[in-house]
Amino acid sequence: MLRFAPLALVLLVAGCTDTPVSASVSVADALSGDTTGYARADRVRPFAFPADHGPHPAFKTEWWYVTGNLRATDGSGRRFGVQFTVFRSALAPDSARAERASAWAATQLYMAHVAVGDIAGRRFFSQERFARGAAGLAGASAEPVRAFLGSVEMRQAADASGAVPLRLVGSAEGAAFALDARPVKPVVLQGDRGLSQKGAEAGNASYYYAQTRMATTGTVTLPDRDGAAGETVPVEGLTWLDREWSTSALAGGQTGWDWFALHLDDGRDLMLYQLRGREGIKDPLSEGSIVDAEGGKTRLAAAAFSLEPVARWTSPSGAAYPTRWRVRVPSEGLDLAVTAALDASELDATVRYWEGAVDVAGSVAGSGFLEMTGYADTPARRADALARTSTSSASSSAR
Amino acid sequence: MLFRSSLRYLLRHPWLTALSILGVAVGVAVGVAVDLANASALRAFELSGEALTGRATHQIVGGPGGVPGEMPARLIREAGVPNVAPVVEGTARVARDSARVVGILGVDLLAEAAFRPFVAPGPGTDGGAGGVDPGVFLTVPGAAVLSRGTADALGVALGDTLGLSVDGRPVTARLVGLLDPADGRSASALSNLVIVDVATAQEWAGRESGTTGGEDAPSGSTLRASDAGTLSRVDLIVPGGASGAAMLARVRAVLPPGVEVRPATGQAETLRTMTAAFRLNLTALSLLALVVGLFLIYNTVTFAVVQRRRVLGTFRALGVTRGEVFRLVLGEALAVGVVGTALGLGLGVALGSTLVGLVTQTITDLYFVVRVRELDLSAGSLLRGVALGLGATLLGALRPGWEAASVTPASALRRSTEEDRLARGAGRIAAVGAGTMALGGGLLLIPVPAGSGGIALAYAGLLAILVGFAVTVPWLTRGYAALARPVAGALFGPVGRMAARGITASLSRTAVAVAALTVAVAATVGVSTMVASFRTTVVDWLGSVLQADVYISPPAAVFRRGGGILDAGLYADLAAMPGVARADGIRVRTLDTEQGPVDLVVGRVDTVRTGIYRFKEGDAKTAARDALRGSVSISEPFGFRFDVQDGDTLTLPTDAGPRRFPVSGVYYDYGNDLGVVLMDERMFLRHYRDPGRSGVALTAAPGTTPEALVQAATAVAEGRQQVSVRSNRNLRETSLAVFDRTFLVTHVLRLLAVGVAFVGVLSALMALQLERRRELAMLRAQGLTPAELRRTVVVQTLLMGLWAGVLAVPLGLVLAAVLVFVVNVRSFGWTLAFEVSPLILGQAVGLAVVAALLAGLYPAWQMGRADPAEALRDD
Repeated sequence: MLRFAPLALVLLVAGCTDTPVSASVSVADALSGDTTGYARADRVRPFAFPADHGPHPAFKTEWWYVTGNLRATDGSGRRFGVQFTVFRSALAPDSARAERASAWAATQLYMAHVAVGDIAGRRFFSQERFARGAAGLAGASAEPVRAFLGSVEMRQAADASGAVPLRLVGSAEGAAFALDARPVKPVVLQGDRGLSQKGAEAGNASYYYAQTRMATTGTVTLPDRDGAAGETVPVEGLTWLDREWSTSALAGGQTGWDWFALHLDDGRDLMLYQLRGREGIKDPLSEGSIVDAEGGKTRLAAAAFSLEPVARWTSPSGAAYPTRWRVRVPSEGLDLAVTAALDASELDATVRYWEGAVDVAGSVAGSGFLEMTGYADTPARRADALARTSTSSASSSAR
Repeated sequence: MLFRSSLRYLLRHPWLTALSILGVAVGVAVGVAVDLANASALRAFELSGEALTGRATHQIVGGPGGVPGEMPARLIREAGVPNVAPVVEGTARVARDSARVVGILGVDLLAEAAFRPFVAPGPGTDGGAGGVDPGVFLTVPGAAVLSRGTADALGVALGDTLGLSVDGRPVTARLVGLLDPADGRSASALSNLVIVDVATAQEWAGRESGTTGGEDAPSGSTLRASDAGTLSRVDLIVPGGASGAAMLARVRAVLPPGVEVRPATGQAETLRTMTAAFRLNLTALSLLALVVGLFLIYNTVTFAVVQRRRVLGTFRALGVTRGEVFRLVLGEALAVGVVGTALGLGLGVALGSTLVGLVTQTITDLYFVVRVRELDLSAGSLLRGVALGLGATLLGALRPGWEAASVTPASALRRSTEEDRLARGAGRIAAVGAGTMALGGGLLLIPVPAGSGGIALAYAGLLAILVGFAVTVPWLTRGYAALARPVAGALFGPVGRMAARGITASLSRTAVAVAALTVAVAATVGVSTMVASFRTTVVDWLGSVLQADVYISPPAAVFRRGGGILDAGLYADLAAMPGVARADGIRVRTLDTEQGPVDLVVGRVDTVRTGIYRFKEGDAKTAARDALRGSVSISEPFGFRFDVQDGDTLTLPTDAGPRRFPVSGVYYDYGNDLGVVLMDERMFLRHYRDPGRSGVALTAAPGTTPEALVQAATAVAEGRQQVSVRSNRNLRETSLAVFDRTFLVTHVLRLLAVGVAFVGVLSALMALQLERRRELAMLRAQGLTPAELRRTVVVQTLLMGLWAGVLAVPLGLVLAAVLVFVVNVRSFGWTLAFEVSPLILGQAVGLAVVAALLAGLYPAWQMGRADPAEALRDD
């Protein structure tokens, strides 16, 4: 699976509207930039847990990514989509690291994206945070399994040798969640035994494993309309953990991707992604997998599935995201209609993208999460938008 | 017709018009320059403060050696504060230009956007030349960002390194980014500011290792909180209302003892009040120049009226009303005032750019580092200049205008009638003057509680005395002229007698000129005597305080406050050098209190140390004994600033929170006008886990010369830390040099006041001579040679100058006494010896005579040249 890459090299933006903004770097730059001195995902390797739950600082980028669908258990029937992500990005390879006396000196940059979609309330909360991996501001570890940035934290809830139960805490714009996620299937190694090829060249790949189905309980807190802490709702549902680390992955000419993580009601978990080239052509390295109810995994090649946009929703930023899809996996007998539960699920982060809960209907019902990138964020358009933002903010601050 | 007459008059007398304009211009210029310099220095500070405070609403300060480095993470995680920014502040000297002090701002770029948006690179910068690569900024040791202007001023380009000295330790900054400030405000805020990552700033400042370890971190964790060093402060943005109050309560709950949260705005305010007295004193001096300038304007306008007495009389005969004549004169004055004011504004701005350097230098020597030295052209200052110029012009023109309006058409009234009236009234006016002086004295005697606007009252009293004295000048001058006549007659013959009589005959002119010169010279006497008294006191004090032979400390950014830290190993080695009989370590530690910074001087307090001080309250022996029981001694300015006396109790922030310290002894100290608290080293270490030393004073053993010790100490420090090793004499000289530098502004202003007075005397004399044209022409016609005429004029100005000089002496001494015993005491709380220097008094009289003589030269030359026939034909 390919998830949104941590374009954390783009900085200083963090939610402050009248702040001058630095220019963005392209997705391809971030994932295929200078790799000298970093380890590469160029061969199949054995995975070991809990060690691999922790950070792999020899690789340039890494993420802990949890998404899920939750329902209120207070009888109200309300539904929520949640996203918890912590990204790590190495600022310098180990070999280039200077001996530093200060504990504030950092070579790892962390970024967190948290989002809560209140489906019934048609509200979407999202927040981006940055911190250095030092001075207790952000970090990750294997024992205990932990990844955090400030108060956004994932921590192991109990001892485990393989799939690990997690405690997740996150907040965004006044909305918050505290969840316990218990894996019901073993760890799934995606791609070829955990090596997920993203570009044709050797090493343009990531190591990638998942805990595809986690039975989750906890609470979601929503702010009232004034932004003050409002109600806290008990919830339960299913979440999905993706773990991936790499040094370079994307090749040039790839403009974005569409990624699906679907929990089917028959117990199967379907993951599909397509890398879009220019003119939206699906890259042959697009891939997927299906995990049966017992945890058995089957790889799906690019030719084994098709993803067709059916309807689009245009965000306030002007990006037209396909929010209805027809998803077909003939070999698995699947012909699914995937529909966004809440159209307005665009994260207005350093790099804009759409990530939200979806409903699944068709041959099997279910729910899941969809991520779409590259609809708003071609570098040129992004730079234009930034220039406009800073101009308008300059005039607004002048007022 | 009236207007054209005015215009013609002004154009036909270009020199006189120019002189009037110059008079107004210089008066306005001085006022505007000082106002601008003051406002700029303040603005500079506000900008520096703004740059460093940003949008923070609250700050976390305190702690042993600073705020523990783990506080930001705890504030985010445990107190739920969303916007938290660590700050490590400091100053450094530029290695290749050690006079240049730059500010160090250590920040976490990732937390900055909400706090200091100007730190973020502006739009249009990309990852290349202009922008900051955060990866580089965070990972490269010494990576620094400067504003483009500062980089240009320092002569560094992107990619260059810049050698700096922090507490005498050499460090290297690498310029990795340039900021293009969006506006002038940001440009000023960023001026001379080196922005680095927190880690770099910690390493430069020696803050990377805090005094508290991370022992309580869970063991076995790869995230074990390592020692995160210390921070200068942590900035917070806390919302208002109930949620903000709740957040603050959570913040307080996680703060360790000795660390506190306080509003961010308070700091700027207290630092502003720190310099209030200093700035007010400058303003008062500039007003002195204006008072002198007022005489000048009065003179120039009078001159214009006198010249056209007959023309105005004719106008009146033609039916022009009194009101119209009055308005005509005022209009002319206003025209001169407008041109003069405009010129004065320009001059003031030019002068201000010089003064602002002096003012910020003084503030940097005395209080805190001011990085911004550009003139801030505030509209307020310029508007005040306009009001000053035009207001003074109109005020000065009122009486001459009234005088012009009262010219009767019949006779174009001879001046003598009016002079007679003045001569008769001089006594009455003098009585009013005496009353005004008495009122001024009364104002000075009003008891004022410490630090409550007493300075303004003191200046009001001073002004009353000055003005009161000035109006007694005609009466005094009349008496003087009567006395001088026989003396001058004996010396210069009839010419001398004539000159002396001339003074009385035109008393309204001569007296004003004498008064203006008197006030200006008195100001010189007063200020010089005050500075000399101060200097004598400081010399005495240095003599008693500087008892050791060699002083060693890292160079401090603020001379009078010190505060750098001497390398611990170096300290031990210096103290252990052969030939050292006694080594006294000293520590200067600044405490952040709600009332502003308090400087703590820490050393081993014993009778040897306290013996070097002279005590105002209490005594050295008791203070030394009490110091071991937890008492502190305070310096005189400290007692004044915080209204603390011997026997009181002082509350100071310590590592364990606020602690009360009994005060034993108040001693004289002229080194720090904010005041200091003297605490014993052993007591200090009990309350503050901060064992560093700021410097060491070495006493040579018998047989070792101080020079040998200086050499040995320099050799020991070589290659370890840049320190200044000063012999007793050298330190004394340096201290006096800084003292003199801080009074440079005062000297400049004083000279300007004399300059204004000079122009005033010149124009007064010209008015006088012009007025007496016919009279003198008559004398010429009766056989007086041009040379004799010239001598008459010269002798007269000599007599006037001498008189002004003589009058200036008592007035100047009164002024000095008020400055020393009232203004200084109310501003800083210092006890100064009053030192009257005959040299200063002699110089003052000489100055008055020379100024008058110089001013008399041109009129004398003109008089001698005038054709008597033409002058008489006018009749």
